Amino acid sequence: MEMQGVILKEDARYPSLLKKISKDAPLQLYYKGEWDEQIFENCLAVVGSRQMTSYGKRVVERVVTGVASAGITIVSGFMYGVDATAHKMALLAGGRTIAVMPCGIDLIHPEYQLDLYTEILKNKGLIISEYEGKTQPVTWTYPRRNRIVAGLSQATLVVEAGEKSGSLITANLARKFKRKIFSVPGPIFSETAKGTNQLIKTGAEMVFSEKDILNFYKIPCFNFEEKKTIINNSGSILEKQIMEYLQREPLEIDILSRFLGIPSSKLGANLSLMEMKGLIEQDNGKYYLC
Amino acid sequence: MLVKVKSVAHIGLETIPVDVEVNVANKGLPAFDIVGLPDKAVAESKERVKTAILSSGMEFPNKKITVNLAPADVQKEGASYDLPIAIAIIAAESDFKISEKSLFFGELSLDGSLRHTKGVFLLGLFAQQSGTRFEKIFVPKDSANEATIFQGIKVLAIENLSQLFLHLTSQKIIKPIPYQELTETRSLLTPEFDMSEILGQEQTKRAMEITAAGSHNLLMTGSPGAGKTMLARALPGILPFLSDEESLEVTKIYSLSGQIPAGGSLIRTPPFRSPHHSTSQVGLIGGGQRPLPGEISLAHRGVLFLDEFNEFPRHILESLRQPLEDGYLTISRSKERVKYPARFTLVASSNPCPCGYLNHPKKRCICSSQQIKKYQKKVSGPILDRIDLHVEVPSVEIKELSDNQKAAEFLEPSSAIRERVLKARKIQNQRFLNEIIFTNAEMKNEQIKKYCKLAKEVEQVLQQAGSKFQLSARSYLKMIKIARTIADLENSQDIQLNHMAEALQYRPKNYEGI
Repeated sequence: MEMQGVILKEDARYPSLLKKISKDAPLQLYYKGEWDEQIFENCLAVVGSRQMTSYGKRVVERVVTGVASAGITIVSGFMYGVDATAHKMALLAGGRTIAVMPCGIDLIHPEYQLDLYTEILKNKGLIISEYEGKTQPVTWTYPRRNRIVAGLSQATLVVEAGEKSGSLITANLARKFKRKIFSVPGPIFSETAKGTNQLIKTGAEMVFSEKDILNFYKIPCFNFEEKKTIINNSGSILEKQIMEYLQREPLEIDILSRFLGIPSSKLGANLSLMEMKGLIEQDNGKYYLC
Repeated sequence: MLVKVKSVAHIGLETIPVDVEVNVANKGLPAFDIVGLPDKAVAESKERVKTAILSSGMEFPNKKITVNLAPADVQKEGASYDLPIAIAIIAAESDFKISEKSLFFGELSLDGSLRHTKGVFLLGLFAQQSGTRFEKIFVPKDSANEATIFQGIKVLAIENLSQLFLHLTSQKIIKPIPYQELTETRSLLTPEFDMSEILGQEQTKRAMEITAAGSHNLLMTGSPGAGKTMLARALPGILPFLSDEESLEVTKIYSLSGQIPAGGSLIRTPPFRSPHHSTSQVGLIGGGQRPLPGEISLAHRGVLFLDEFNEFPRHILESLRQPLEDGYLTISRSKERVKYPARFTLVASSNPCPCGYLNHPKKRCICSSQQIKKYQKKVSGPILDRIDLHVEVPSVEIKELSDNQKAAEFLEPSSAIRERVLKARKIQNQRFLNEIIFTNAEMKNEQIKKYCKLAKEVEQVLQQAGSKFQLSARSYLKMIKIARTIADLENSQDIQLNHMAEALQYRPKNYEGI
């Protein structure tokens, strides 16, 4: 039932962008799913830390959703953390996504992401690997895999990366292949932003929203930037105050209650209601603007 | 010559009378035997009794001595038969009468003095409940305080054998310890920490207030150093005092397991037990060859604090399910069946991941998502279902807080919080006057329907929350219970919108969203 096969480098269907990396291009690509050349037309590699923070998660949620719904294929490495979230968000946005495996085509790695694996295939996505059968993933296959991720894509987006993150390998490969690099800035104290900030310093383009990326692909974008208007709309004075604080940075309830001088019991009730209205959301103890 | 002395045996929390019969026969070879299912401690009392009598300057008869502990089919254990055996032997030799209405209980030291013995409280209770059958109890001085709250019973505190001999032969009478009224034993708690000593963590403190008020179970999740343990240790300071009946229940268990210190009396403060995660199942739940109460029973009417909740072996956590539901535990052995009460408030704390630093603002978590999932799944659904309040305890910067004026303003001493808790408890006592439960946390479906009527808008909010936050049916009910307690804390008859909205803050949250 499942479509699968192998495409050799000489094959006309071999992705042209990948072929351009010449000697680095894999000799053959094993794949699962439906091989449809359209999928390779506009590709964005999304890479980042396995230890994704809630900031990273929110970035992926926002940016990938915007990009994928505009028809750009999201390419990533199927690892947990940023990779998996990027695949997921692409699927949720109704977009297509390609997962490049560091192991043989018949393995699922990491295994517990089986659900995601089947979802990708179900939604006209592709699973790709240069290794046949049940080749085990080893330390050097991960960075090797990254060259395919970068090679398939016109641009690479680095969401979160520590100083020695594997995502930086992908970014460097993208640079070597003369592809565009996007990087998401983060606080200078954050461990998981050291790599991305460094990329920006050395010439990667900063990403503030999906708009930056869509511009690069020359895809017009609509209906963004309208969210801010909510603040000025309805809601009590307290709600507005809360949103003003949260606009600056995500906060825990205790800190917010100290800023506002309201006991956490009372503030909690307000926050719950605002959360249900969809004004704010809570993740790992902190509140964010939606 | 045959002498009969009365004593008791404890089987679980039950007490039965035991006749200590001593026969000192002039015929036969000199011997000293104890029969009537004695355990090792009772059998060894031969040596203690003999040496103690000699040390007290009395003669130990060089005759055939037979001791029978009746009824013969009940296992006798512990060292508390030393005193009745010794005094019976002395009485047989010195030829004085011992009243049938006196109970003797206590362990002897080799020098003839009496040692602190566990179970004196249960003895006093038994003596009182048996009506006029027993009038006096002779117990070690160190343990005598335990029995002073029983009216109508004369408690004689014995220091050593010779003192008791002089009393029984009416040479020097010992005065009974005066009866102490139950209400007088109430004392103030001195918890380890006062809530006002802990800076920040306002939401967790609030959750503790709700926990204390409605005896809801609480789970705190947070990185190491966030202050979870300290907060839990401050909890006893805001718990309501034990009522007189509760106090009796708790003291029974403590007396039986020998947890009352020498000279100690009734336990008036809610127990706070924090067993380490290496505690065995028997240690936590209770049991053993002769079933003894475990930590959960020692936490009866108080708090069982399980630090590092996820580190407890799963089978041990699972065994908490039944007592959490029923409030008691029955331990069955082939020979006997004992029931120990275990109505405690569970306060658990756990790390978000194995390394503990998931989402820590400064430190980096080194766990893979699979490890995190595995770690969080260690506590089973049914156990989590029995925990009402879930809070995240964020890491705080002490320095930042100590300079923060608002943080200082929000500080409340434990006594102020307790005031509110007491009021809320009062409301609950009124509410459940005709029910078999005491607190909001114990409400079952039918009581929730009866006592937690929701206005339409409140119901609506809860329903919206149910779909927005994906609340399970059980969580749904928990939210109502918590809202009820919050309303009680505010002395509000109805559950209002803000009560429900606050309750939603304590819903179970998914830690890792991906």
